[in-house]
Amino acid sequence: MLPKTQNALLYGALDALILKTLARGPRHGYAIGRSIEETSGDAVLVEEGSLYPALYRLERRGWVEAEWGTSELGRRAKLYRLTDAGREQLAAEMLTWKRFAAGVSKVLFST
Amino acid sequence: MKRSLRSWLWRIPIDEEVDEELALHVEMRTRELVDRGMDPAAAHEAAIARLGDIASLKRTMTDLGRKRDREMRVSIWIEELRDDLKFAFRQLRSSPAFTLVATLTLALGIGANSAIFALVDATLLRPLPYSSPDRLVTIWEHSASTARGYVSPLNMLDWNTRGRTFEKIAGFTPSVGQMVMAGADGNAETVTRQWVTAGIFDVLGVRPIAGRTFSAEDEARQPNVVVLSEPFWRNRYNADPSVIGREIRLDGSLWTVIGVLPKDFQLLGQTSLWAMRPLVNLPPRVRGFYAFQVAGRLKPGVSIEAAQKDLAAVADSLAREFPQTNKGRGVTLEGMHDSMIGTDLRLTSMLFLGVVGFVLLICCANVANLLLARATVRTRELAVRSALGAGRRRIIRQLLTESVVLSLVGGALGIGVGAAILSVAPSLIPKGLLPATVTLAFDMRVVAFCAAAALLVGLIFGVMPAWKATEFSSAEVISSGSRTTTGGGSLRGLLVIGEVATAVLLLFGAGLLLRTLVAVDAFDRGFRAESVLTMLVDPLGSKYPTPQSLQQFFDQVEAEISAVPGVAGVAWASELPLDFFDSGGLSYEIVGDPPVEESQRPRASDQIVSATYFSTLDLPILAGRAFDRRDTRDGVPVCIVNEAFARSVGSGRSPIGQRIALRPATSPQAKPVVREIIGVARQVKGRPDEAKDFVQLYLPMSQLISDDMFVVVRPKSGRAEALAPAVRAAISRIDKEQLVGVTNVMTLEDIAWAATGRHRFRAVMVVAFAALALVLAMVGVFGMLAYSVQQRVRDIGVRRALGATTNDVLRLVIANAAGIIATGAAIGLALSAVSGRLIETMLFGVRPLDLATFAFVTVVLGVTAALSIAGPAWRAARIDPAVALRNK
Repeated sequence: MLPKTQNALLYGALDALILKTLARGPRHGYAIGRSIEETSGDAVLVEEGSLYPALYRLERRGWVEAEWGTSELGRRAKLYRLTDAGREQLAAEMLTWKRFAAGVSKVLFST
Repeated sequence: MKRSLRSWLWRIPIDEEVDEELALHVEMRTRELVDRGMDPAAAHEAAIARLGDIASLKRTMTDLGRKRDREMRVSIWIEELRDDLKFAFRQLRSSPAFTLVATLTLALGIGANSAIFALVDATLLRPLPYSSPDRLVTIWEHSASTARGYVSPLNMLDWNTRGRTFEKIAGFTPSVGQMVMAGADGNAETVTRQWVTAGIFDVLGVRPIAGRTFSAEDEARQPNVVVLSEPFWRNRYNADPSVIGREIRLDGSLWTVIGVLPKDFQLLGQTSLWAMRPLVNLPPRVRGFYAFQVAGRLKPGVSIEAAQKDLAAVADSLAREFPQTNKGRGVTLEGMHDSMIGTDLRLTSMLFLGVVGFVLLICCANVANLLLARATVRTRELAVRSALGAGRRRIIRQLLTESVVLSLVGGALGIGVGAAILSVAPSLIPKGLLPATVTLAFDMRVVAFCAAAALLVGLIFGVMPAWKATEFSSAEVISSGSRTTTGGGSLRGLLVIGEVATAVLLLFGAGLLLRTLVAVDAFDRGFRAESVLTMLVDPLGSKYPTPQSLQQFFDQVEAEISAVPGVAGVAWASELPLDFFDSGGLSYEIVGDPPVEESQRPRASDQIVSATYFSTLDLPILAGRAFDRRDTRDGVPVCIVNEAFARSVGSGRSPIGQRIALRPATSPQAKPVVREIIGVARQVKGRPDEAKDFVQLYLPMSQLISDDMFVVVRPKSGRAEALAPAVRAAISRIDKEQLVGVTNVMTLEDIAWAATGRHRFRAVMVVAFAALALVLAMVGVFGMLAYSVQQRVRDIGVRRALGATTNDVLRLVIANAAGIIATGAAIGLALSAVSGRLIETMLFGVRPLDLATFAFVTVVLGVTAALSIAGPAWRAARIDPAVALRNK
């Protein structure tokens, strides 16, 4: 496991990561976290303490919406789904992240 | 949004939501760890441990969830409202005839109500426009003969110094008089003036907008000082501040302008300026001179009862100190608002409010009826909506939104109607009905009233139809495929019965007030008031200093006017017969009778008249003779008395030849003038509702003259006011300068009209509203019948085909309508019989259970009902069975 400090860097990007994950289809909270971790090759650790509040925030802003479905284990599960507004937001965040990352890279790897 | 709406509808409580979500998370994580080979119990613990501070996490999530839900509720509510509004407007646009009739009906109802609200607001709700008006009281003197009498200045001063519960007490004359103001250019004009005592503006808490008001120092120095009203200052002096301190010439003396009062400030009566009447060094006889209306400002926290007790004690001590004048006199305190508005005006306002309230209810019933009829047509549409998943509540809300939109549009138009009514209202309201302190204004309060009324009305007339319209089984309605009538029919019948009953009640009230007006107009004044021109002639004192010169001037004018073609008679009088409410300026004793104590002497009001007065006014002399040439200045002093006076002389005694000793009521110890009674004139009544007969004395102008006299002119034929220019020309031929002093040009009919004004106003208003109510109710009857005939076209067609005659069809329709109208009328008449007593105090010459009025109402209702039935009945009679059966 990665040291916790790395999460600080992630904090602002978590929203974008959630939106991106949901762009591939609706899923519940645990699945979102796992999906991010797996896709990043466990380079990104998603903490529950930030994940769930982030989901509620996104729902409140209308970027994701939730409905009740059934989990793989047959238990009632709250499934999140990306809304049209969320899709737009994701595009905007990706653009921002790209510029930010490019900027940071330029500085870090300049000779 | 549709999807989130659904998910929101299926939402579970927020705590449960958070618990479930985290439980699932822990379960999934545990499974993952177990899959990796961990012991299940350890895996569960690890999963929980990874959540960190669970309590805090739950709190954060619950918090965020609550906020999310609240916002969603509001946004959904707004969304639905927007949908409903859009739908409502589309619905209303799609049936313009319905929308037009309904909004116009509501606009009339709400508009009429808003105008009356303005009156009620001005008279009953709004406080007087003075500072801390709740501490202001009016103080009257009461005696055996009057409960609310004016006040003697000396008594007022004693109340002010001895009373402990008042900050200050001051007074003003209840009537507004006139002064001649001479301009710098030599022209003169008459201005209105009210006398006040120095402290009055302090009592009322009025701050001048320029200069100052009267002070205690003014009173001590007794200068001639006036304050101006704002309109007079603006119109006459262009709102020039330098007028403060300037001297103006009024009635020949110089007066200093010291201040200007704010706009809209008035006491009783409209006046241009207020002149100070100093109350220092008054002679003791003034104690019997009841001249002022008195206002007092209570100290903070003092109740009116405490003040009453306080002043009553002062009055008691004054009665002991000055028994001749003050014995049996006490004080009556009254809240100033009550005394300014008066019982009569208050009742009138309440009456109008009740009447327009009923009119509005009829409007509501009509619109509700329209909605019910429409709901029947819309049953299918509503059933489809219901089948698509809209709950009954949701549909009712939709329908209520429609009716509220309808009534708000009606209310907006109603504001216009109300403003229009209020803009013409001042010319309809008789002068003197509203005190000068009260102004009718179309302000934000009226607009707010309209908005509130519209909202309420929209709910009132919307609820029943909406409830009714949603009472259906959607499957049944849709599958039946045809327009079905819901059970609205009986409800609509009830509404129309209510409308008819209300209209009958209002008609009955209108009938009673009309009968009152007729009785008031027809009542016997004792003389012929029709077509008599009058004007006040007030010659300049400097030009006619002696009684002889004045007499000569008046005689010359009389001769000159008599010579004008078309003049049948000319006379002089110091007071006009309809216009004076003198409670008795002279005290009298019959010479030879045992002496009477001063304060117990009977009183009579006196009127100086010329010899021609009785013949000109057709005022009969019942016994003895009128004044003539014998009654000269040097001859035997004589007088003529009226019937009330003759009765007071005592039965079995003829008043003719009796000699009476007359003194001014204000100076009981003065040397009396003894006059011989030479005639008895018919009793003159100023107002039809006068409670008691005034005791009156006529004194000959040839023996006693006043320096201003009314000239009374009767034309041979035609309208009296047409003579005015010729009469003025005649006066100017005698002395051109005196035209300035000729004022108050009017006819006795004008004065009589003013005296009956409130009866006329009430009758006109209530008749107008009752007529409106009747029309609306008949529109209701018509609408209901027309609709039911339309619904029964097939039914009637079948009957015709089976051999029913036109008469049978007519009977069918008319019987239906007649039943409803007769029921409504019966209820209305029963209500009238019960509630007629409520307006008993406003009636004159007619009793609340007046049979003629009952008959009148029945006839009017019968005629209008026939009119409203005729149309639908005619249409029913013309139904062609072939056509009716072919068309589905």
